[in-house]
Amino acid sequence: MDNKDSILSTAHALRYEIGEDIHDTLVGAIYHDAELIASRVTSRPDGKKASTFGATLDRFLTNRWFGFPLMFLLLAVVFWLTVEGANVPSGMIASVLVDMVHPWLRDTLTSLNSPWWLTGVLADGVYLAMAWVISVMLPPMAIFFPLFTLAEDFGYLPRVAFNMDSLFRKAGAHGKQALSLTMGFGCNAAGVVATRIIDSPRERLIAIITNNFSLCNGRWPTQILIASIFFGALVPAHLAGIITAGAVVIVALLGIAFTLIVSWGLSHTILKGQASAFSLELPPYRPPRLLQTLYTSLIDRTIIVLWRAIVFAAPAGAVIWLVSNIHVGGVTIAELFIDWSDPFAFVLGLNGVILLAYIIAIPANEIVIPTVLMLTVLSAKLTGVGSGAGVMFELDEANAVADVLRVGGWTVLTGVNVMLFSLLHNPCSTTIYTIYKETKSVKWTIVATVLPIVMGLVICFAVAQAYRLVVG
Amino acid sequence: MTDPVHIVVAAGILILAAAVFLLPRHGVLARMKRVHKDARRVMIEDALKHLHDCDYNKIACTVPSIAGALMISLDDAAALTSRLSAMGLLVPTDTGVKLTPEGNSYALRVVRVHRLWEKYLADETSLPQTEWHSSAEDREHRISPAEAEALAAQLGNPLFDPHGDPIPTAAGEIPPKKGAPLSSVAPGEWAVITHIEDEPKALFAQLSAEGLYVGMRIKMIEHTNLRIRFAADGEEIVLAPVIANNLSVELLPHAETVPASPMATLASVTVGEAVTVVGISKALRGQQRRRLLDLGVVPGTLVRAEMRSVSGDPTAYTIRGALVALRNEHAQMIFIERGERVSA
Repeated sequence: MDNKDSILSTAHALRYEIGEDIHDTLVGAIYHDAELIASRVTSRPDGKKASTFGATLDRFLTNRWFGFPLMFLLLAVVFWLTVEGANVPSGMIASVLVDMVHPWLRDTLTSLNSPWWLTGVLADGVYLAMAWVISVMLPPMAIFFPLFTLAEDFGYLPRVAFNMDSLFRKAGAHGKQALSLTMGFGCNAAGVVATRIIDSPRERLIAIITNNFSLCNGRWPTQILIASIFFGALVPAHLAGIITAGAVVIVALLGIAFTLIVSWGLSHTILKGQASAFSLELPPYRPPRLLQTLYTSLIDRTIIVLWRAIVFAAPAGAVIWLVSNIHVGGVTIAELFIDWSDPFAFVLGLNGVILLAYIIAIPANEIVIPTVLMLTVLSAKLTGVGSGAGVMFELDEANAVADVLRVGGWTVLTGVNVMLFSLLHNPCSTTIYTIYKETKSVKWTIVATVLPIVMGLVICFAVAQAYRLVVG
Repeated sequence: MTDPVHIVVAAGILILAAAVFLLPRHGVLARMKRVHKDARRVMIEDALKHLHDCDYNKIACTVPSIAGALMISLDDAAALTSRLSAMGLLVPTDTGVKLTPEGNSYALRVVRVHRLWEKYLADETSLPQTEWHSSAEDREHRISPAEAEALAAQLGNPLFDPHGDPIPTAAGEIPPKKGAPLSSVAPGEWAVITHIEDEPKALFAQLSAEGLYVGMRIKMIEHTNLRIRFAADGEEIVLAPVIANNLSVELLPHAETVPASPMATLASVTVGEAVTVVGISKALRGQQRRRLLDLGVVPGTLVRAEMRSVSGDPTAYTIRGALVALRNEHAQMIFIERGERVSA
């Protein structure tokens, strides 16, 4: 027993002697031994032909003059392919799910003697919301994610992070955030998952919280529609396209600016104490494996995200139908809320319909515009437009949408603020859930949810007052 | 009510009211929180820490010195002293007051928690080093003994805090003070910094702004009553003697093991150049240090700069067969040697 004690006390005294470098020394010794063993049992081919191709490509991709233009060109091509390529399949899915299956489902339910309210909740609420989410969400994701994964697989994306790092370093973030940010343009939930590549706790949280500032695929159509109605219409027809596109790009760039500003703010305030480390591995280039990429990006990203969106859209569809069909004292709950919140919404340069739409369409940004249209028709008591209370709809012609919105009291200010609010509001419920899954923290989930909405309210408020003071 | 001027004025008033309540330091909420802190326990523990400090540095502790250290009035300090005395934690001596054995063991517990927190903040968070001390001051009073032991275990039972102070063991043992003031080093002699005093705050901020850290090797150049000039990591640093006294050092008798010229860092390597790592600065700590060790950045590792990013930072290096980008701020803390055993 004495022996043990004396050993322990000797060991204890020795710890002070050895000091704190023991960990470093140990790692060094392990590497030294490993090197020795490896050098005895391995032989290397003389030539290094394999790496010259990569080295040349690296020099080109990180070149002072070519690096950024090449990156923007590639990004533009990916977006163009996504937007152009998604139109046709989106239309096809919508014509099947919304135009064909929806009436059939209604008829079937009616013929089964289901009461009108059950038909409404199931067919007009739950089913339609899911159909909408699938038709708007699936095609762009099925194009964007495989393209993105191909670039990742080839080894190009780490080089983007390498080039973008100095910008993000100044904002207190990690260069790899450039990738999760870009992924967010496809879908914020996928963007949040993509932050897994950031291996430093603080920078990863920053990337998660700010991902919502990337204008996602579900918000692009809203931006384009509103921009074409309220800005495109102000100028001659041949300029309308450019002005519309310009306005949307400005909103997207504003989102990137907010990402950097908020990243800087977070890293200097509430995230100051989180651990942080930087290193960025640049793996060798390799030919992308097409089939495997297609499979993994479809399963890992597209299907999982789509499934979560559908799960959240179903109850929301029911809620949307119910608030527009349950009457309290002769008016629907929707109208009650719209009338009640109108003064508050007015101060923000919005209206009660928009606020309600953003609250009940929280599962997916895709259904905000259909909900806004339906609620406007409902609250303005329009006839001849839409498909009835609680049934979301979309109009083929932007002019027809514009007419409905004008009846709903929309002005240029409303248009601007809806574009801003669409950029700056809480993440959709799929993203919120994903943030919770990724951070395992209620606190950071709340921060990521509340921060953008507070910013959105403040900015809409400021814009509304400035507009009214200047324009009148 | 819908007149925008009215609304803007109302918003201004609202923001002002929110500021009055929520400002981090002067807001009503922050003030209330400060008042509600367990003021009594904080006072007692801070006084015990001060007494232990005196004891450790072999200087006399008095009521005025307590008042000074805790920034309270003399009357309050006297009242505090008599309360501590009644609790059996201190006894009067000829020159002032000193800790009883019970007082000493209580003080060591507080010191242990304080230094553990400093170690934690330095290694596990990215808080700037000027905030370690004040944050630890705040945290040390809000932790139970069991939590303190869990913290120590999480940190691997460290022996020294980031300022170079020994951390007392759970049994209350602490090694005797080591090191001499910087002014004891003669010109031409080599020494290693063993301790940087973290109080007063302003002096510590100045020392840390100079980039000094525990474990740094320095060479004395000039040493007069007006200034102390020495070389540290290849840079020349000039300090007033009163500031330099906050540094403790240990002489390095085998100065020949230390390279005479300033050490080059990885940040100075040009693209295409291959160099050998000789060490990582002690100032690089926590996760970033572990990351570099994991990547195989250890003494003897061959590193070649391959390319710089479009904007010049970070730079990609070949380290043990992998291409890894490191930021300039970290490369600056990796010491290298040129022109030796350069092979592919």
